[in-house]
Amino acid sequence: MTILEIWLGILQGFRVTALVTLYGLVFAIPFGLVFGVAQYLTTGPARFVVTSIIEFWRSSAVIILLFVFYYALPLAGLALSAMTVSAMVLGLNIGGYASQAVRAGLQALDRGQKEAGHALGLSRSTILLRIELPQALVAMSPTFINQLIQLVKATSLVSLVTLTDMTFRAKEISQIEYDPVPIYTSLLLAYFIVCYPVALFGRWVERRINPAREAYRAV
Amino acid sequence: MTHTDDKPAVQIASLNKWYGAFHVLKEVNLTIPSGSRVVICGPSGSGKSTLIRCLNGLEAYQQGTVTLGTIRLGDNARETALARRQTGMVFQSFNLFPHLSVLSNCTLALRRVLSMPRNEAESLARHFLEKVRIPEQADKYPAQLSGGQQQRVAIARALCMNPRLMLFDEPTSALDPEMVKEVLDVMTGLAHEGMTMICVTHEMGFAREVADQVVFMDQGSIVEQASPLTFFTTPSHPRAQSFLNTLLH
Repeated sequence: MTILEIWLGILQGFRVTALVTLYGLVFAIPFGLVFGVAQYLTTGPARFVVTSIIEFWRSSAVIILLFVFYYALPLAGLALSAMTVSAMVLGLNIGGYASQAVRAGLQALDRGQKEAGHALGLSRSTILLRIELPQALVAMSPTFINQLIQLVKATSLVSLVTLTDMTFRAKEISQIEYDPVPIYTSLLLAYFIVCYPVALFGRWVERRINPAREAYRAV
Repeated sequence: MTHTDDKPAVQIASLNKWYGAFHVLKEVNLTIPSGSRVVICGPSGSGKSTLIRCLNGLEAYQQGTVTLGTIRLGDNARETALARRQTGMVFQSFNLFPHLSVLSNCTLALRRVLSMPRNEAESLARHFLEKVRIPEQADKYPAQLSGGQQQRVAIARALCMNPRLMLFDEPTSALDPEMVKEVLDVMTGLAHEGMTMICVTHEMGFAREVADQVVFMDQGSIVEQASPLTFFTTPSHPRAQSFLNTLLH
């Protein structure tokens, strides 16, 4: 099997890798935003509930969650597709990390920002949406890009719940050809080729969404 | 700050505040008539910033009442929001929104609180930027301006809401000496227009020229309240005398 054939074989799994990443983001982004903000705003028992949910998703091993949700839930009468389970588990795990970035970003803002908003008579929700979140999200954008890259790489686990992603394809080819070195080297490169543009995209986004910093640099 | 002009702009009665066991404001009583300019001064930690922050609900207090015009603070959230809308505040560290342009800093509250259309809000903001003498900076971001310019934007931002009372919390303390004057000039202009102003500051020249009342605080209490002439020439309290001695020499 030539290197080209190996590459084409691995690429057949790219669609699944990309889909798990995209669907994973559908879980990760709302979860990270809502729970990060909720942890920032709540106190007492409400905060305990929010923190518990975040910790469940953040502190559990992804591979075990995949097994539990895919193989054990059907026994309780709830059968989810492999794609749904993968996107949910990977997405909420990354979302758990993202929520902490959102919370940290909000907490790191100068207290004077909120006070200036209050002093102008703005409502708490307007202060959050127009003053705090825009600054916190921009400050945390490098962390979010990190987490997106983590998500892409974590998709390699979904081969364990029957999805034919790039890793699954590499394993298949390796079992047929029994020549793991070029195959897994190609797989390694394949993930790099997917992830590196994400990093470049992240830098571009950072420049685009921060006009104030750019304007300052231009002076 | 008042709907009926015979009411004082601010009435503080028996105000007490503690930070834990530390009694930071002790039995403060102060009445500020509409149109007057009050300078609050005193040594660090005397409670002057805490006092001014109690006047728009940025600090909670445990005892006493603060009444702005006809609105008693703390009665309910809606009244506090209304009082804040009618009170402009300028902070020591400017507190401009760094992610918004100068113009957007000024229009944010107009649009979100007063639901003013964008065009109208922008022309009002430009009017006040003109008033603080930086109309040409409207499209820049705060980080591109000098400290004095930023503080003038903060004043314009507060003025946009057409406040009945302006609070200044050490507005020049974070500025380079040569930028202090440009900010004080704007404040003096406001005072001459009859704005009710309460200003925490160590700028004694400003107090002498602009204030009609100087309030001196020490250890959480108002220990002297007098006209600038009396305060600067014959202060009665020994603590005020020693404060002025250190400041003027």
